[in-house]
Amino acid sequence: MIIIKDLTYSYPEADYPTLEGINLDIREGEFVLLIGPTGSGKSTFLYCLNGLIPHVFAGDIRGDIRINGISPQEITVAEISRIVGTVFQNPESQIFMLKVEDDVAFGCENLSLPKEEVIKRRDMALKEMGLLHVRNAETFNLSGGMKQRLAISSIYAMGPNIFLFDEPTTDLDSKGRGELLGIIRKLKEKGNTILLVEHQYEDFLPVTDRVIILENGKIINETKSFHSIRTVCRERRCFKGYSNEIDIQDLTFGYRKERPILKDINLNIRRGELIAVCGENGSGKTTLLKIMAGLLKPDKGRFALLGFNNPAIEELIGRVGFLFQNPDEQLFANSVEEEIMFGPLQLKKKVDKEEYLKLANFNTVRKRHPQTLSRGQRQLLAILSILAMEPQVIILDEPTTGLDYNNLCSLFKILNTLVNENKTVIFSTHHMGVKEFADRAILLEDGRIVSDEIYK
Amino acid sequence: MRYISRATFFHHLDPRTKILMSLACACLIVILNTSFSLFGLFMILLAAFFSVKPPLSYIKITTYLMGMAIVATVISQGFFYYFEPRTPILTILPKDAGLIGKLTGGISIYREGLIYGIVQSMRLFSATLLSMIIVMSTHPSDLILGLKRFGVPEKIGFMLTVSIRFLPALAEEAKRILIAQKLRGLRLKGLRGAIKGFRLLLQPLIIDSLRKARRTALAAEVRGFTGKRTEIKNIRFLWTDWVTLSIVFLIMVLAIKSRFHL
Repeated sequence: MIIIKDLTYSYPEADYPTLEGINLDIREGEFVLLIGPTGSGKSTFLYCLNGLIPHVFAGDIRGDIRINGISPQEITVAEISRIVGTVFQNPESQIFMLKVEDDVAFGCENLSLPKEEVIKRRDMALKEMGLLHVRNAETFNLSGGMKQRLAISSIYAMGPNIFLFDEPTTDLDSKGRGELLGIIRKLKEKGNTILLVEHQYEDFLPVTDRVIILENGKIINETKSFHSIRTVCRERRCFKGYSNEIDIQDLTFGYRKERPILKDINLNIRRGELIAVCGENGSGKTTLLKIMAGLLKPDKGRFALLGFNNPAIEELIGRVGFLFQNPDEQLFANSVEEEIMFGPLQLKKKVDKEEYLKLANFNTVRKRHPQTLSRGQRQLLAILSILAMEPQVIILDEPTTGLDYNNLCSLFKILNTLVNENKTVIFSTHHMGVKEFADRAILLEDGRIVSDEIYK
Repeated sequence: MRYISRATFFHHLDPRTKILMSLACACLIVILNTSFSLFGLFMILLAAFFSVKPPLSYIKITTYLMGMAIVATVISQGFFYYFEPRTPILTILPKDAGLIGKLTGGISIYREGLIYGIVQSMRLFSATLLSMIIVMSTHPSDLILGLKRFGVPEKIGFMLTVSIRFLPALAEEAKRILIAQKLRGLRLKGLRGAIKGFRLLLQPLIIDSLRKARRTALAAEVRGFTGKRTEIKNIRFLWTDWVTLSIVFLIMVLAIKSRFHL
């Protein structure tokens, strides 16, 4: 079905090949899981199969690829898309139309199929992918999981029998991941060949026929398990102080009065705790964090932080650091150094930037423009830029999104350092495996705290 | 301000009719020059506005916009009306009052200016109402389909659709960037601050948009987008469209006749 012989590829003007000597046969109907650290060439490998290499990305490609006997280099990307479908990480950037049913038809329309055929395939995809009830909804109002489902449906309607998934769950919560797993299982049962790239892959192991590990552009055979991070990164410690850092009593909040997002929240957080706030998308995690950072005012109830009662955001600047999900919206300076010093400069605080550069091994990239760093590095830099303001409380919204094993380790090492300095760290996550790195996990469900566990 | 799904006369019109109609209305706004005819146009558009059943919040916004427009034009025209004859109804600074009086030739409010201001604001009102009617009653993708049927190329139509689709996300993102800056202690004052703030907002916004655009382009590639495609959506001219267009055409003819004395 897919036969790859001695595939080597270098991006234009790159000094070394991104893929080197890949040999691989994938059978029809096989489910292959492709894993490896960031920069190991996983996405590049997929681009070789769907024709984006060499048709969109030039560069030097050697070796031979045969998909159903055809070489993707010899036909156009549009022609390949009839047999190979690709779903990317971010559902947001894979949706083009304003209405759900229009977007499902989008790919088929591009294939210039007859009108009746497009309509037939669109309706079939809507039905089989469970989108019938939202067919007239506006695409930008869908949840993350539904958006990814829509992106898959649009590809599915085009009728390929090979599906490539490039980190499809990174931007989804565990409910969305569950739904996606169901869809992928269904695709497999229908006899499709599936190649999936993923960092957090445990959920997919039951349907996987074969795991392939890429490192530095080569196929190797061993891997470090995700769970081993816990032993690497987690240090047990006892609390140094028992003062109440955050005190929340009977708190209620809603963007609209009649529909509260948070209900009757009671929560006590002590100095030096490392806390994970878990829950599905829409359970109120981000809202709770925003209240703690003073970005939102509670409708009812008491919220006190560092002795301030219902503080205004101005009172908390410099005392509380808050990190949004997307690091790119929080990097504005012209170099890594400047980015770290941006906050302290505004607050007229004297800090030693070397100390922060060292935390994430940024010495070699200190002069680079923040936006030229890798996604994982940008995430770490955004965190450092908050830390450099020396806040007592650090609040991070989904800091682990899209981080590979190495960056995840760096992140938790930094968080551990902070907690050992007796700072309070609160982070939200929808990845249940991550919560165990915290000392305490708070689970939100539909705006209420349903469990509050302390790990010993 | 956005499309609202309702079943009204304007919602059922073909997008092409609405495009032609708005072009005609735009011409009328310029051509008509008597206060009577402009008021007439305004009343017709006002009736049309209410016929698409706008929600209360939209009525409020429209009233607010129109209020701003009338205050601004009437005041500025009242003061700065230059055509003769003009009748001062209130003199604030006489012609011979010191240097400023001489330089400005006196400051007065003129009756003709006020009337001219009201006529001008009728034009602004009509333009506001017209755009509201089109936005509320036409789904953006139908509007683009209409443009395509008028010969706008597929790729331009696609660009329009994608930009409308990404607009809400962009606004959200700009908001988050501003909060992130505030949280990093950024406080900006005065004009220099505003310029600096603009640069600090624009840089991440543009870089992130480029990154998103690149991802979106790849996603379009793997969906086989080449610019040549089947269009499954259909728009149809109904008898209501023909009737509407005939009425619009008739009004146009009358307006041109009376304006240019043909």
